[in-house]
Amino acid sequence: MKLARLIACAALMASASVAAAAPSAQSILAASDAIRNPDRPFALTVTLVEYRNAKQVDSNTLTVYSKADASSGQFRSLIRFVAPARDANKLMLKNGNDLWFFDPSSKASIRLSPQQRLLGQAANGDVVTVNLAKDYQAQMAAEESVLDGDRQTRRCYKLALAAVSADVTYHHIEMWLDASTSRPVKARFYTESGQLLKTAYYRRFQPQLGVERPTETVIIDGLDPNWVTVMRYSDYAWRDVPEVWLQRDYLPRFKPE
Amino acid sequence: MRALILALLATTLPALAADEDAAALLLADQTSAAAETSRDWRVFVEAAAREARPQGPGLAQHGTRLSVDARLDKTFAPGWRAVFADRLDMERLAGDTGNRNINTLKEAYVSWQAQPDRIADLGRINARNGVAMGYNPTDYFRAGALRSVVSLDPASLRENRLGSAMLRGQQLWTGGSLTALYSPKLTDNTSDRAFSPDWGATNQSDRWLLALGERLSTAFNPQWLLSGGQGQSPQLGLNLTALPNDATVAYFEWSGGRSDSLAAQALKGPDDAAFRSRSSTGLTYTTPNNLSLTAEYEYNGGALDENGWNGLRHGPPAAYAQYRGYVANLQDPATRHNVFFYAFWQDVLVKHLDLTAMVRYDVGDRSRLHWFEARYHWSRVDIALQTQLNNGDPRSNYGVVPERRVWQALVRYFF
Repeated sequence: MKLARLIACAALMASASVAAAAPSAQSILAASDAIRNPDRPFALTVTLVEYRNAKQVDSNTLTVYSKADASSGQFRSLIRFVAPARDANKLMLKNGNDLWFFDPSSKASIRLSPQQRLLGQAANGDVVTVNLAKDYQAQMAAEESVLDGDRQTRRCYKLALAAVSADVTYHHIEMWLDASTSRPVKARFYTESGQLLKTAYYRRFQPQLGVERPTETVIIDGLDPNWVTVMRYSDYAWRDVPEVWLQRDYLPRFKPE
Repeated sequence: MRALILALLATTLPALAADEDAAALLLADQTSAAAETSRDWRVFVEAAAREARPQGPGLAQHGTRLSVDARLDKTFAPGWRAVFADRLDMERLAGDTGNRNINTLKEAYVSWQAQPDRIADLGRINARNGVAMGYNPTDYFRAGALRSVVSLDPASLRENRLGSAMLRGQQLWTGGSLTALYSPKLTDNTSDRAFSPDWGATNQSDRWLLALGERLSTAFNPQWLLSGGQGQSPQLGLNLTALPNDATVAYFEWSGGRSDSLAAQALKGPDDAAFRSRSSTGLTYTTPNNLSLTAEYEYNGGALDENGWNGLRHGPPAAYAQYRGYVANLQDPATRHNVFFYAFWQDVLVKHLDLTAMVRYDVGDRSRLHWFEARYHWSRVDIALQTQLNNGDPRSNYGVVPERRVWQALVRYFF
């Protein structure tokens, strides 16, 4: 009996050491999140350029201030519209599914549902940063070579992400992460029924706030591949975002430097 | 054969997808790298032509309008901010002897943020509350605020109005805030002069307001208000929103307190003070293709009920006109029960084409106001066509409007 227990213990320890050697899907996803998302409150500029049938049809510029919630780990963001001129200085607050839009001209704070889109193809959740490891359960689906956004062949882990709560923009995601660096390479986002909503390529990695981060995401529509949005990130900076700013009542007050 | 087709599809589809992805990445390569920089101001000019056809027989009236709208929001020292918003409407009516120019000084105030969580403001401020779309009973500073109406779109009515002179302070904490403001009486006299700041329209009595917002959970963020002033009993207000599902926002806005009925106030009738409620209850549903549909029920406990309304509208015209003028100045519904529908569809069929439709329906007399707008925009230019149709019996809420059908075409240029 004692021998059997010893064998069982040895087997358990052996399996634990194997698990420690191969990183879990969830930890790879968390490492990838850390590459996309600075670990302190920050600000950046997002420029969205939208194409239809290879012609540019729209362009928007936003300034995004983000801070992770200490308890949930998820980001809350204040978004200021910079361009075009008609939308200048309008604001949006995103705290999970709690979305508020504020127009300084009419002083109206309007609550939005997650389905309401202000920016064409991009869902409101696309323009702010998200810690996927907090909202999705990851499983290793494959290890394969794929062409990345800069047309380099990369050895990648393909992860299958399933939403752990209903409060997320996408029901499930296929994500390819660089097997050696955990960099995000490519993702496909799906509805509950399995319909492809969009494909995203993460590219143009540059040192930003101490880490090599993607400075561009190319989004291709799932139904109409000729509908393409290029999201470019610039002006990364550490910015203090006091907790009191992240609420509806502060929107009329928000005046970034 | 079927197996062969399936096998062919299986091999060709990934290749097609790869081609599409490659084409998309090529487009991204060609995207300009320059990001726009933020500005402290927004200025636009708008030119409009209008045709109004009367309810009965008669010729259509034509007019034109040129408007200049400017807004500046400037940080001039650390923690100090100056806000200025102004609009000039220059109207010309065919056949009219005079021209009508109206300037609306919407806001002019300074703001001092002593600490990140403590702010004070002084000047003319458009202090607006309310989560509803069509009628905002907790928007306590709306009375007398409209100086020039260029569109019946609720968004335009909220934007193109006078703020009130006030001193306002706000204390914030995590998930909540308390706002207190005091708006003093400045003068009794309103002014029609083109460039008058018209303090008499917005500051005819001493008023105050307390607003408390507290997020009880991510989903539940109520706002409580208490408003009062010279010659009025305190009014309590509540704003609530909820998210029943990913596509729907539900809202409830309520204000209640002792007050005379609007009829007693307008017609100088006997004191009939009682506790009266006003509320707006609505839903906004957004379809997967981004069409947002709002339905709102509006209740005004201070307005005439169906019997009272029928009595007034079939009675002396002077009393009827006096009542209507009084409630219009307050921006309150004239009757007890109203329904409001609003639809907004962004990027309809083609990119940059937005459609907006609105219906106001008076449940008591079954009159209706319809308003529709098609707007196409480029990066700096908007063009829009608007039409308005008033239906109903003579002297009904909307049937009495002298114009049955109004068309307006406009072009707006953003600098």
